Amino acid sequence: MTAALQKKICMLGGFSVGKTSLVKRYVHSVFSESYLTTVGVKIDKKTVDLADRTVNLILWDLAGEDDINSFRIGNLRGAAGYVLVADGTRPSTLDVALSLRERVEAEYGPLPFVLLLNKSDLTEQWAVSDTELAGLRERGWWVQPSSARTGEGVEDAFKDLAVRTTS
Amino acid sequence: MTRSPDILEGLLRSPSGDDAVDRKALAGLLVEIAQRLKPELRAQPNGVHPSDLQLEQLRTLLVGREIETLWRLHGVMDDPERLAAAIGQVLPTAIAQATADARMGHVLAPVMEKAAESSIRNDPTTLVNILYPTIVPAIRKSIGETIDETFQRLNQTLKYSLTWRGLKWRLEAWRTGRPFAEVVLKHTLVYQVEHVFLVHRHTGLLVAHAAAENAVSQDPQLVSSMLVAIQDFVRDSFSGAELQGLDSVQLGELRLWSEPGPFAALVAVIRGDPPEGLHDAMRSTLSRIHAERHHALENFNGDSSGLGDVEARLRELVALGAHEQPRASVARVIVLGSLLLVLALAAAWAAWWWYNQQLWEGYLSRLRAQPGIVVTEAGKRNGKFVVTGLRDPLAIDPLTLVGAAGIDPARVVAHFDPYQALDPQSVLRRLEASLNPPPSVSLAIDGNRIVAQGSAPRPWLDRAHAVAKTLPAGAPSFDLAGVRNEAEADERQWQAYVEWLRTEPGIVITQSEMRDGRFVLSGLRDPLAIDPLTLLGAAGIDPARVTASFEPYQGLDPQFVRERLEATLNPPPGVTLVVEGDRIVAQGSAPSPWISRARKVGSALPAGAPVLDLSGMRDISEGALGKMRDAIQARSINFDSGKSLPSAGQEQVLDEIATDLNELVKLSSILHAVIRVTLTGHADSQGQGTSNLSLSVARAEAVRALLKKRGVDPDLLQVRGAGQLEPLQDETAAEASARSINRRVSFSVAFEEEP
Repeated sequence: MTAALQKKICMLGGFSVGKTSLVKRYVHSVFSESYLTTVGVKIDKKTVDLADRTVNLILWDLAGEDDINSFRIGNLRGAAGYVLVADGTRPSTLDVALSLRERVEAEYGPLPFVLLLNKSDLTEQWAVSDTELAGLRERGWWVQPSSARTGEGVEDAFKDLAVRTTS
Repeated sequence: MTRSPDILEGLLRSPSGDDAVDRKALAGLLVEIAQRLKPELRAQPNGVHPSDLQLEQLRTLLVGREIETLWRLHGVMDDPERLAAAIGQVLPTAIAQATADARMGHVLAPVMEKAAESSIRNDPTTLVNILYPTIVPAIRKSIGETIDETFQRLNQTLKYSLTWRGLKWRLEAWRTGRPFAEVVLKHTLVYQVEHVFLVHRHTGLLVAHAAAENAVSQDPQLVSSMLVAIQDFVRDSFSGAELQGLDSVQLGELRLWSEPGPFAALVAVIRGDPPEGLHDAMRSTLSRIHAERHHALENFNGDSSGLGDVEARLRELVALGAHEQPRASVARVIVLGSLLLVLALAAAWAAWWWYNQQLWEGYLSRLRAQPGIVVTEAGKRNGKFVVTGLRDPLAIDPLTLVGAAGIDPARVVAHFDPYQALDPQSVLRRLEASLNPPPSVSLAIDGNRIVAQGSAPRPWLDRAHAVAKTLPAGAPSFDLAGVRNEAEADERQWQAYVEWLRTEPGIVITQSEMRDGRFVLSGLRDPLAIDPLTLLGAAGIDPARVTASFEPYQGLDPQFVRERLEATLNPPPGVTLVVEGDRIVAQGSAPSPWISRARKVGSALPAGAPVLDLSGMRDISEGALGKMRDAIQARSINFDSGKSLPSAGQEQVLDEIATDLNELVKLSSILHAVIRVTLTGHADSQGQGTSNLSLSVARAEAVRALLKKRGVDPDLLQVRGAGQLEPLQDETAAEASARSINRRVSFSVAFEEEP
């Protein structure tokens, strides 16, 4: 058994924003993706090495739901932080992500989170303006375009979360 | 904050109202000032000397309202009802705030106990109703587990109690003083706890984990979270089904048992079929961990370092099943030994009894299977086997079977009444005894028939047929069709022989039979008939096997009559006797004496016999012989008076007569007749009679001699002298010629039968 620090991190986002494929290459996974459709949750692990210790982020990949009401907020119980994922080519998913954040914060108070705007490789379809991004960042949020294909932003996001949840 | 108006609070804090001055602070300041000025004032609690008017005035001025308030409060305090109302208003808040204080529990516990006690005493249903939603699921779960456990133990007990292993374990339980179920459990651990997870309930993070050495292990951190996720999922999906969520999941050989605790849940992954008692073990481990590391679990933040002791606890669970073997005490071993000895003796006796019983049962069943034996009662009396029933006298003696069954005959008392069994076996036996069949006959049972096969003598067969007809109704039938008559060939030969004899004339068979391989024949036989014995050879019968006795008799068969006539009449050669129908016809010619004799005999034949027909017979003297006789008799030889020799000139006549006689002799011999010629000498009446007689004889003799001379057999010629008594002519009436005619020799010829 590892004595490393564990943190529960939830991955939230609208339907088909690419949460799962975003982290697929970067996490330790033992469960099949069918859990997502059956149980609604799939657990992965991301180990992040910090300067003084190793942090195991236990990632609760929650099934993407555009309907906020059907989202099972209970899955965030005990979470140390979360990853919000939106599809940069579909602005509506950003709205979903933001309302998810509000929902979580209403239930569990402020928790460390990162916001990833996925599919950054599809530049010509990109629909989130830089000003919008800047606006979000101004709120003190850690916002980052990401790409499952290039891996942009993923490692950083996890590292940031690891730091913030253990500090 | 939503607080209700609170007097005590108001006293301590700023009074509500429109007064802008902080009177409390002011009064306190004044008091403090006064105390500074006059340190002795510190001794007085109020810090104000009552007698000090100024101060009193000042106080009234400054804190008059407070005093008023105090009075009002005093009034409240004095009036229990008002006080109660006041406290009642703040009590919930006070208790809420005091909960953090550990003493609160101590203080309230007895009160609660008393309250609960009194409530239950008043009306238990209230409390029951209150507790129902909480307690019932717990009870239900507990009962369920208990029943499961009971069944499991029962199963194991049943499964192992009757086997050698089960006995061994029972012994071990008795020896070590532990419950049998526990011993069984110990030996039947057909399961392995492969993983134990201690999962933080709030975060779903893994607190500690232990795995068996050989267990395949996925990342336990992921597994524990997934478990929590799945439990959440189930709880959300099927809310209310089980408040505790999933406490047992089975996936093939793997079971997942979960025990919830206040802060952490214990999840065991078990391979195989765990005993329900494992739940207890898990619960006790979980509660121990909670007791020891209560704080660490409550504040768990994902950092599991420093929880090594928890892991050690989990290892105990994983290692479950390694019990040590308690040692047996010497005393128990002795008791055990003697118990075993007693058991062995009892077992030996039981085995001996059982063995005897088996022997007896075996004997009885064998006896019952015997034909002709009916067992009506069998049992044991005074240590002896008693059997009673019916027995066919021909059935086997029941006592002979006793020895064969391995039972001491002295221990058996048997009483059987006789009866006639009609079962095929017994009937067969009786037939064999009564018929005594020859070795060539075999009797066998075929269904409800008794079939005889082989060959047997006729008498036996006859007897067997007679017996077969007299068998009682209900008995098997006796089939003798398969038995050949072994003397059949002989019998057939004999019958043929007898038939043959019957066709023989002159033989009458009155009796013919076979007796012990010999033939007996008796009857009547005409002496003229064939000798029956001469026919035996032709019939192929050994004459030595035949005893024949025939009485003689006269057969009336025409042939025999004819033969007998031939024998008695001895017909001359010219006569034949022929049977024609029922007549015997004689034909031919014979001398008349024979014919007359034959006529006599013929008339003397018995009634019913054939008639002798002589109508076809001719007298031999008629015809040629008669003519020759007449010619000879017509002649005579003449003599001179007183002379014994023929007168002269008579030679020619003598020659003719001799020739005729010789011819007659010739002819008669051809005709099988005998002729007799009588020469009669005659004399004339002159002379004396006596001399005439001798003269006549002499004359006849002389002619005989003369004829002899002429070749006539003298034996044919008889001589006689007639003297003067047979004159040809009467001499008195005539003269000399007449005398000369009378001096002569005359001839008479007679035919006679051949001798």
